[in-house]
Amino acid sequence: MYEAHFDRIYRYVSFKIGDKVEAEDMTQQVFVNALHSISSFKWQGKPFTAWLFRIAHNQVVDYLRRKTKKPVTLLNESLLGSDSNPQMVAELNLDIERLSQATQRLTEAQREVISLRFAGGLSIIEVAKIMGKSQGAIKALQHSAIVALRKTLLVRDNEKVETVS
Amino acid sequence: MRRSRPFRDIFEECLELVLVKGETIEECLRRYPEHAGELKSLLEIATATQKATAVQPSPEFRERARQQFYGALRQMPAQKKRAGFNWVGQPRWATAITVVLALVLVSGGTVAAASSSMPDQPLYPVKQATEQARLALTRSPLRKAELHARLADRRVAEIVYLASKSKSEQVRRTTQSLDRHLARIADLASTHQMTTAGEARLTAPMMTTPAPATEKAMITPPSLGVEAAPLDNAARVTSEQRAELRTIVIYQAIHHPARLKAALMNAPPQTRMALLRAIAVSETGYEKALRSLEDER
Repeated sequence: MYEAHFDRIYRYVSFKIGDKVEAEDMTQQVFVNALHSISSFKWQGKPFTAWLFRIAHNQVVDYLRRKTKKPVTLLNESLLGSDSNPQMVAELNLDIERLSQATQRLTEAQREVISLRFAGGLSIIEVAKIMGKSQGAIKALQHSAIVALRKTLLVRDNEKVETVS
Repeated sequence: MRRSRPFRDIFEECLELVLVKGETIEECLRRYPEHAGELKSLLEIATATQKATAVQPSPEFRERARQQFYGALRQMPAQKKRAGFNWVGQPRWATAITVVLALVLVSGGTVAAASSSMPDQPLYPVKQATEQARLALTRSPLRKAELHARLADRRVAEIVYLASKSKSEQVRRTTQSLDRHLARIADLASTHQMTTAGEARLTAPMMTTPAPATEKAMITPPSLGVEAAPLDNAARVTSEQRAELRTIVIYQAIHHPARLKAALMNAPPQTRMALLRAIAVSETGYEKALRSLEDER
């Protein structure tokens, strides 16, 4: 359970919270909570991964509620490993910043699909089970989310070009 | 036919090919030239999104978190110690078998040595005989199901061992044994519901032996009358046993397929088919067992 899901939960939580220290604490807490409530896990067709991500999702929601702010999905510089190539870090930082801003324009469901699918590395089937929607609905949300991200990112690129010229 | 597919499905297929299977965007575009323009820009955004979210935990944090998790695991309440063997409640033939087994096997530590033996080792028949005796002597359906779960754990360890030794035929035989254990868990769990009431009635008279004051105070709900207590105690014990069984089965349902899959990664080619079968058996077997346990709730 732990070894197989640790990185994915960390990426998911990091993407949702955008703060390294908080993301680390919360990732640890997700697994400890899962351990304590393992006896409440009900099979009923829902895989274990879905159950674990549901715990992570609930903790993120609780955290954000306590902080009384919207999901930030901002990945700060400290989330990048210290051993990364400096040039890559610079390029990636730019992407992260743009992505973070762009995701603010998504609907909550679109943002959740992006978080689970890309940060959590889950399949469409797993995302569908976690969100309680059909696979078709998740594919549609994924498509619309990427289209919306493209629109936002391209608009910003065009604005930059116009500013330069 | 391909043209009639919704674009979202084509996009998802290309995402899987590019992000999971390592295909290039260009290779994917060649599959769907009619959508190449739209696919290209969306796949570029998707790959950038994946890169941006691919943060890795630092080694220090990974180690700290691992220690905390395993620390919490160790601190979890240990399962209650099993009640000692109830000689009075067993039929005479069972008592006799146990005495004979004890006399024959315990001397020289044979049982202890056999318990860790593997199917290709000389003491394995002793291990099998001991297991059969334990199953025969366990009367409660839930305890019997729990024993089958623990024996399934042994079978998985044996399969992993045998696979590493390239003994595919023995992997197959042990997988059949694993299948039988898992099927018995499901059977016992599903039949248990029907027998619970009868079991409670049967168990109640055995609990008339005076318990120490503290223990009695612990197990007797204060709000119930004296006459009602034995039946409720039996139900409570049954409920606890069911919860314990569920915890064990859930734990193994997660770990056994994962353990077998890990073995598959390093298995010699000649045992891979047998291991794939073992993985399938463990996944379907545990699912059935868990469904039987869920049905009871």
